[in-house]
Parts: sequence; structure tokens; C-alpha cells
Amino acid sequence: MIWTLALPELVLAVSGLVILAAGVIPKRDTFFPVSMACVGALLLTAVLVLGQGDGTALSGHYVSDAFSGYMKFLALAAAAVGILLSLDYNEKEGLARFEFPILMLFATLGMMVMISANDLLSLYIGLELLSLPLYVIAAFNRDSGRSAEAGLKYFVLGALASGLLLYGTTLVYGFAGTTNFDRLGEAFSALEGVSPGVVVGVVFVITGLAFKVSAVPFHMWTPDVYEGAPTPVTAFFASAPKVAAIALLARVLLGPFGDLVGQWSQVITLISLGSMILGGFAAIGQRNLKRLMAYSSIGHVGYALMGLAVGTDIGLRGLLVYMAIYVFMNLGTFAVLVSMRRQGRAVEGVDDLAGLGRTDPVTAMWMAVFMFSMAGIPPLAGFFGKLYVFLAAVQAGYWTLAVVGVLTSVVSAYYYLRIVKVMYFDAPAGSLDRAPSSLTLVMAGTGLFTVLFALWPAPMLAAAQAAAAALLG
Amino acid sequence: MFVGAIFFPLLGACISGFLGRWIGDRAAQWSTVACMVLAAICGSAAFGQVALGGHPLVQLIWTWMDVGGLEVSWALRYDTLSVVMVAMVTFISTLIHLYSVGYMSHDATPARFFAYLSLFTFMMLMLVTADNLAQLFFGWEGVGLASYLLIGYWYDRESANRAAMKAFIVNRVGDVFFMLGLALTFYIFGSIEFATIFPAVEAHAADRFLGIPAIELIGVLLFLGACGKSAQLGLHTWLPDAMEGPTPVSALIHAATMVTAGVFLVCRMSPLMEYAPVALTVVTVVGASTAFFAATIGCVQNDIKRVIAYSTCSQLGYMFFAAGVGAYQVAMFHLFTHAFFKALLFLGAGSVIHAMSDEQDIRRMGGIWTKIPVTYAVMWIGNLALAGIPFFAGYYSKDAILEAAYAAGGGAAAYAWVLGMAAAFLTAFYSWRLLILTFHGEPRADHHVMEHVHESPLVMLIPLIVLAAGAVLTGYLFAPLFIGEHAHEFWHEAIFNGPHNHILHEMHEVPHWVPLAPTVMGVAGIALAYVMYMAMPALPARLARMFSARPEMVRNLPLIPAEGAEQQTEPNPGGLYGFLLKKWYFDELYDAIFVRPARRLANVFWKVGDAQIIDGMPNGAGSLAVEASRGAVRLQTGRVANYAFAMIIGLVVFVSLFLFVG
Amino acid sequence: MTPAIMAMGGITEMEIGLAHYLTVGAILLVLGIFGIFVNRKNVIVILMSIELILLSVNLNFVAFSAWLDDLAGQVFAMFVLTVAAAEAAIGLAIVVIYFRNRGSIEVEDISTLRG
Repeated sequence: MIWTLALPELVLAVSGLVILAAGVIPKRDTFFPVSMACVGALLLTAVLVLGQGDGTALSGHYVSDAFSGYMKFLALAAAAVGILLSLDYNEKEGLARFEFPILMLFATLGMMVMISANDLLSLYIGLELLSLPLYVIAAFNRDSGRSAEAGLKYFVLGALASGLLLYGTTLVYGFAGTTNFDRLGEAFSALEGVSPGVVVGVVFVITGLAFKVSAVPFHMWTPDVYEGAPTPVTAFFASAPKVAAIALLARVLLGPFGDLVGQWSQVITLISLGSMILGGFAAIGQRNLKRLMAYSSIGHVGYALMGLAVGTDIGLRGLLVYMAIYVFMNLGTFAVLVSMRRQGRAVEGVDDLAGLGRTDPVTAMWMAVFMFSMAGIPPLAGFFGKLYVFLAAVQAGYWTLAVVGVLTSVVSAYYYLRIVKVMYFDAPAGSLDRAPSSLTLVMAGTGLFTVLFALWPAPMLAAAQAAAAALLG
Repeated sequence: MFVGAIFFPLLGACISGFLGRWIGDRAAQWSTVACMVLAAICGSAAFGQVALGGHPLVQLIWTWMDVGGLEVSWALRYDTLSVVMVAMVTFISTLIHLYSVGYMSHDATPARFFAYLSLFTFMMLMLVTADNLAQLFFGWEGVGLASYLLIGYWYDRESANRAAMKAFIVNRVGDVFFMLGLALTFYIFGSIEFATIFPAVEAHAADRFLGIPAIELIGVLLFLGACGKSAQLGLHTWLPDAMEGPTPVSALIHAATMVTAGVFLVCRMSPLMEYAPVALTVVTVVGASTAFFAATIGCVQNDIKRVIAYSTCSQLGYMFFAAGVGAYQVAMFHLFTHAFFKALLFLGAGSVIHAMSDEQDIRRMGGIWTKIPVTYAVMWIGNLALAGIPFFAGYYSKDAILEAAYAAGGGAAAYAWVLGMAAAFLTAFYSWRLLILTFHGEPRADHHVMEHVHESPLVMLIPLIVLAAGAVLTGYLFAPLFIGEHAHEFWHEAIFNGPHNHILHEMHEVPHWVPLAPTVMGVAGIALAYVMYMAMPALPARLARMFSARPEMVRNLPLIPAEGAEQQTEPNPGGLYGFLLKKWYFDELYDAIFVRPARRLANVFWKVGDAQIIDGMPNGAGSLAVEASRGAVRLQTGRVANYAFAMIIGLVVFVSLFLFVG
Repeated sequence: MTPAIMAMGGITEMEIGLAHYLTVGAILLVLGIFGIFVNRKNVIVILMSIELILLSVNLNFVAFSAWLDDLAGQVFAMFVLTVAAAEAAIGLAIVVIYFRNRGSIEVEDISTLRG
């Protein structure tokens, strides 16, 4: 039992427990130091992830390879930025309780377990370890009915989804005789015809995971939860857990169920099509920025899944690059959203951005960069993300996906560009408060990434290439 | 050195653009000028090494991406063709930066102006040093953007915004063709690197795309793209309006550099164009038509900058038909000399406008030549060069173009030669009309303006004098290199002439009267202008009336402006005169064909569609999208039960899909 | 039980096999699912429905485990039980804060966030 391979997870778990203990004891307000400690733990774990070797451990429940390294690094970075986003907001909204960053930390631990899962059991444990803290932080604003409603909805639907996933797991276990990914893969490649029980099980598992990435038709919770939850929580929801769930989906489908690609590919294609179309159209009429971002994230998941539906290594590489770019521009956008306050009160309407180009040109500039990037306008990063998945789809002959992708990205450009229009051409609706430095830092960092990605795409492409190769063997 | 020539302007743009607020306007201006001087030194040195020394090279900047066998590098291609452009662009841009220091001294935000100007220079250099079509397109779009920013620099002027939008839109039309050409190139050759395309042209000469010879199609598409940027017939309407920008911008972008990008593109693609005879014929015909057409309009315009703008349009036509008959070297030569004298004319015009307290209408000038002698002298030199009077720069290049057209033979070339000769006559005519109306005769401006007429400061005069020297000398000095006996060593494979194409040789063996003819035309044009505007000042108005449908609307020439009346809404007297005055009705035509129907259509959609809901999205697809959006949102009832139900439905659909279809 | 008695009661001899367990599991699952979206009354019913789903899952696991003669399924069931407990605790906590804010746990009322 080579438990040292799982060192990053162990370190994160132990430091989470230690920080929790350290946070409970003092009588004073410990939100800020605990947050910083959590960010530190995440960064330390990220360093350990970089140095992690390849192999399986813990009786084959745990696997580490280039793919898990890439995804974990992304999830950890997103989680760390997520904590940074909450610092100022939680202080001002009276949510500055030390449990908050610790819950995020444990959710991140869950993501890592998911990403490294090599068994349906560790998949389930990781998924629940992710979900349970998320239910709590969605409802973290205890005095807000909206936050509580968001938490309740997320909980009910999330529990249903994990129930379905578990039911699928039982079917796969029963009909294939094992829960280990490697042995499942062997079983399926040896089998002549696949039993319908397994097939049904796989669909149930896909359902459970599609819920987490909020893909159509399992997306219904997304807009409501995004709108109701505190904004930093929404930012977190829209970034790190998506990475983990997409990683898990890719690992499960391309690993143990890789030989069933003919069957699941059409399901993923449908999910991707539905998500792209819904993400393109539903956001058009939205006046609430968080809700708009919810539909936007549904659309982005659709684009990313396009790479998975294709099922080739180029498709997978496109998916990985897309997720990385998506996470960064999404966090940047949410940094702007979190910073939106007028006379100390948080606002979240599209119209509240009116005239931002004049009242706060720097924030408006970054927001414009993120919006242009999300709309996929070259030479910003978002364009390259789309380019790679579209190329993969075209190369593999998935014309429907590529055409719908291009069309919906044109449609969605409308609402992104409308935000830019509102910022620069509408009369100011009174200036917003100055953004705190932690948020401007996040904006600048992610914004520079978005702008400069075009200049040095090579390292990320190489990493994604290696990750894709690791998964497809 | 090779990298410096390109990146110093960018450095200058960054300093001025980002730090301008902190370091102050003066520092921002002079740092950009300093950067440009460095770039010009690098550019000249590169010219010496590459063109004169005969060492073309490719300078690798960095490997952009290198993944899975796909390697894309960013490199600068330095051969004679690009280094001529680099040297010319950096040199002229430096002078114009210097001039702008004086010209923009009363402006509120000079740092912004200089940042744009340097940014433009950088983009232009990127364009000319591109070693693949994508990089060229990047520069192409970059100069378009910079041009848009600079035309609309005085954004508080409605007309400037309008002109900037027009330039942007017309250029987009050209860009569509360029992109199509680029895509087709990639489709045919599987690459957009020049180094890969050019050797492969011969092998693909017989390829067809949709039944059309592919090489021809690429050639025509790229040329149509070039038309947009180089303001050729049909897509020229933006250039005169672009004169809304500050005058140094007109000189740099809309005379010396950006508008010549189209000519550069055609020359750059010479290995491909040589295998596309039909495309070359199109180039010849369009170029010659533009040369003539723009010259006719130039004869009746009254805005000093617009006259020169139409002249630019006309000269670009010359360059195109030179390239069209296969004499790319000659086209480049004219491009080179033209840059000097046209920049000179624009800057001289700027100096006049400066002196006349921002008056641009030549009917309200006159009688100022004694007050601004230096400007007067350099304008003379510029016009002499433009008219192709012997031993000035334009003489060498324009003569060579007409000789080449004569020597090339064939219908299109003959058409080009005839129109070229006519345009040479008209060019001389409008040049002297401009000169005489601006500087001679009775002063027609009011006395307040006349009292303020003054020579420009030294910082503006120095560039004028340097450019004037260029307008005198460049033809004589560089003719042997560009088109004379050393041409072969000079170009060094940068331009490809097909095995059947001996135009450079043949053009020197035309009958003796052919080289003389343009000069005669030029002198005749000058003489006519002298007669009409100097000796008999009443004649032009009488002629104008004669060729008008409504003669009473033509005003007498010594026009005494009504107090405070702006002459923007000029009445249209109709007839031939009106036809020319209204620029062959191109704007009206486009307005009627494209703009008004589009607006009407948009209006219909606006009213049919739900104008209240979709603010600012006036089209039918938009309202459809909004309907779709409402439909999608209506599903989002907020009830947990419905959400769960949707999930289950999805699950059931997928399971049945698996079991019964998959 | 003698065959005669069985015949009297109209019961034929029958092994309780895997199929029966799976059928019961499937019925529980469907009941749980319907409990979530047909139920219009009370959030607590939804929580119970979720427990029902997890129950069906555990039943499946144990049945398969016995049938396959493999312990992994029973271990899995243990984990599911544990996680279900945590999940129920969190669910109830959320219901409590929801009730404190809105003063109601009617399912119909949980729809202020929509569109």
C-alpha cells in the first residue's frame, strides 16, 4: 500500500483539520487568518501535486498521472482564488466566519479525490466530500431567504443526482462484478455484447456527473443556486467543482467505459448540444448578472463537452485547454461581480454596470476583456479554447457539434457584448464603490492571463497534451 | 537591429500610451520621437545590409506554439521587398512624428495621439515583415484599427466619428475578401507560410476550386482585399472622408504607408500572381480605372486635403496597374517615391491649414505665397514630383509605369496606358489648380485670418525640407537600383517574375516618344491650369456652368464667404460638373444600394420585432433569439419538483436512447 | 412447509433470488423519485424520499454482493450509510435555516428564485 503517493490529499486533509482546530479555539475573529492559512494549504498542496509521481495506490482506489496533475492544479488554483474573492465580500456582508474557507478547503479535497478516483467507491466519496460542503456554503448567508432557498434547492437536487449516480454504480457493480476502473475496463474490452444492465448503469452515472457540471437537462438548479448563493460562493461553484466534475466525467468515460464509446458518445453529444443552445439563448433576457453567468457557464460546459463527445486525444486536449481558460476568465468575471457595490450595498444587475467605463475605467476594461474572451473574440484566450474544441470536432467529423457551436457562440456574443455596451455607452447609474485590492489583484491576474495567453500558449498546450495522453494511454 | 526596427515603435507607443499620464505630454511626445529615430536608424541599417548588401534573412522572434508536430513561429521576413518598406516606413514615420510635435501642440491629449501613431507604425512594420499570411493579416487588421482610432481621434466631432466608422466598415468589406483568399490559400496549399506557398505554386497551377482555377481565385480575392485597404475603385469611398483625421495622420497613413499595403500585398504575392493572368488583368483594369477616375474628381474638389486624397487614390491606381502588367518592381518604386512626395504634400497642406487658422477650402485661400515662402517652395517641389516633371522623383517612377504599360502589350495594358496618360494630364492640372488657388491671386480669406498667416515653427519645417529633398532625389538615386541595370541584384529573388515575363527589360526598349509623352502631358496640364486659374480666372466658372445642368448654382470663383456660413451642404449643380463634384455619385450610389435599404430593413425589423425588450438590437434574428430565451426561461419555474422532473425525463430519454438506438 | 400446504395457499415453491431484490430496489428507487417530484406538500417528505433512494441503492449493493460473492458491495453499502447520515444532517440543517427565514417549508413556496 503506497499511501505516500496520495501525499497531496493527505496533507490537505490534515491541514484542514488542523486549521479547523486552530480556528475554533481563539475567541477573536479568525476569518482572515484562517482564510490565509487555507490559501497557504492549497498552494502547498499544489506544489506537492506538481511533484507527484505516477501510479496507483490505496488498493487501486487512487491513481495519479499527468491528467490528474493537470486537473488538480487547476482546481487548487481556482479554489485558492475563490477564497481570495470571498475575503472582502464576507467581511462586508457579515459572513466572515472562519468555517467558510475551511468548507471550501474540504470541498477542494473532495475534488482532488474525485480527480484521482480509480474506483467507483472513491468516486462516490470524493463527490460527496465535494457536495456536502457546497450545500452548506450555498446556504451560508443564514439570514437571507434567497441563500437558504439556493442551499435547499441545491441540496435536494444534488442528493437526487447522487442517488441516481449510486444506483447506476450498483448496476455497474452488479453486472460487471467490480468497481475498480482498471478491472472494469478489462471486463468491457473482453465482453462481446454489453449487458443492458451495465448500459443503464452508465447512463445513471453520467446523469450524476452531468448534474455536477450543470449540463442540460440536469442544469435546472444552476441559475437559481447561482443567483441565491453569496457571490463568492457562486464564483467558486462556477469554477473549481466544474473542473473536478469534468475531469471525473472524462476519466470515467474514457477509462473504464472507453470501449463503450459508441454508446455514450451520442449521449454526451446531445448533452453538449443542449447545453450550448440553452447557454446561448437563455441568457439573452437576463437582467441579473449572476443568473446570466449561470446560463453562460452552462453554455461553456457545452463547448467543453464537445471535446469529450469527440472522444479523440485532440478532443480531450481541447477540453482540458477549454476548462483551464474557462476557469480563469470566469474567476476574473466574478471578481468584477463580487466587487460591485453601491454605497456599501452589493448590487448584481446588468444595469448597475452602466457607465462603468467612465466611473471606473480599470474595472470596466477588465470586464470588457473577460466578456470579449467569453464571446470568443480573438486574440483573447476564450477564442483559443473554442478554436481547439471546434477543430477537434471538425477533424473527427462531428459537423453538427461544430456548426451548432459556432452559431450559439455568435448568439451568446450578443449578451456578452451587451454588457460591454452597457458599461461604455449607457449613462452612468451612479458610480460603484472602489474595488478592494484583493479583487483588483485577481482581476489583473486573470485578465493578463486572458490577454497574454495567445502569446505563450505552448506550455499549457504541452501540459494538456501530456494529460490527454496519460488518460488515453 | 532587425528586431529593433520593428519594436522600437511599439515601445514608444507603450511609453506614451500607458505612462503618458505620469510623465507628462512633452516627455511622452519626445520619447516616441526618440523611439522612432532609433527605429529609423535600425531600418536604414537593415536596408543597407539586406537590400544593398544582398543578404535576405528571416529573423525568428519566438516559437509561438510547438505541440504535436504543429509548430508556429513568429518570424520577421527580411528580404528586399520588406526592407524597402521598413526603411521607408520608419523614415517617414519619424519625420511625421517630429512634424506632429509642432502640429499637435495645441491639442488636449497629445500623448494619446502619439501612442496611436507609434502603434500604427508598429502594426505597419508587422504587416510588411510578415513571413506568413496570418501574420500579415494581423498587421493588416492592426493598421486598420490604428487608422480607425486616428481618423476618429477628434471623437467629439460628429463628422470624424462618421468617417472613422465608414473607413472601418468599407475596410471590413475588403477584409472579407482577404480572409476568403487566406482560407482558400490554406485549403489549396495546406499552409500559409510564404516559404511553403511560393515554391508550390507551380505544382498547384492547375488546381481548381468549384471549377474555377484556384490560383486565379486566390489572386482575385487577395486583390479585392487589397482594394479595400488601398482605396481602389469601388472601395475607395472611405479615403477622402478619412481626411477628418489630423493632417499628420493623413500624411502617414492615408498617403505614405497604410494605403500602399494593398500594393505591397500584390507584390509580395508576385510568385502566385504570376501564375494568375486573369487576376493580373483584373488588377490592371481596376488600377487604371481608379487612376483616371480619381484624377477627374481631384480636378473639381475644393478641400485642400481632399484634392490630395483623390490624388493618392489615383497614384495607387498607377501602382496597381504597374503590378498588373507584371512590373512589380516598378510598382514598388512608385510606391517608394510616392511616399516621399505625397507625405510632403500632405504635411505642406497641413502647414497651410495651420497658417490659415484651420481653413481647408482652397476657395478661401489665395495670395499667401509671400507670407509662407518655405511651405510654398516645398509644395512646389511636391507638385513637380507628383506631376512627373523631369528629374523630380515622380518622373522616374511614373514614366517607368507608363513605359511598362506600353511595353506589356495586350488589351488591358493598352487600356491602362491610355487612361494613365490621361490621368497624368489631369494630375498635373489639379496639382497646379491647387497650387494657384492656394497661394496666388487675391486673398479670399477674411482679414482676421490673413493677419494671422504665419510660417510654421521649425519643428514642422525640418520634416518638410527633408521630405522635399527626398521628393527631389529619391527618383534619381534609386531608379538604377529599383528598375535600372542593378535591379536583379537589388531585388534578389524577393520579387518573382515568371519565365515569360521580361517586362523590366522590355520597358527600356519602347519607342523614343513613349518616355517623353508623360512629361508632355504633365506640362500641358500645368499650362492649362495656369491659363484657367492664373491668366483667365473667370474661365473655370464659365466652364463649370457650361457642363452643369443647373448653371445658376455654380458660384463664381473668387468666392467671398458669407459670414459664418459653413459650406458643408453644397448645392449640386448637376451635369458633368456636378457628376465630378459629387465624385461620380459613388457615395450616393452606395447610400441608395446598401445603406438606405439596410436601414429600412432594420427599421422594419425594429418595429416588427419587440423594440422595447431588445434595446439596441434591431434585427429579426434578434427577436427570435429573445423569444427562444423567454421559452427557455419559462421552463425555469423555480420549483424543485419540476427541476427533478426534468432530470428524470433526461435520464429516461438517455436510457432509452442507449437501449433502443445505440 | 409441505408442498400440500403450499398448494393450499396457492403458493408455488420459490427461491428469493437476485431478481426479486433488484425489483424491490427498483420499486424503492421509483418511489423515491416520485416522492420528490410528485410531492407538493412538505420538504421533509423530500428528505425521506432521498433516504428511500439511498435505501434502494444499499439493497442493490448487498444483493449484488451476495450474488457475486464479493465483499466490495457490502463495504460500499457501509460508506453509503455513513454519507447518507451526514447528508441527512446537512439537509435538515438547511431546512431549519430555510424555515427560520421564510416561516414555511411548503414545497410550493420554494420558488422565489426563478426565470
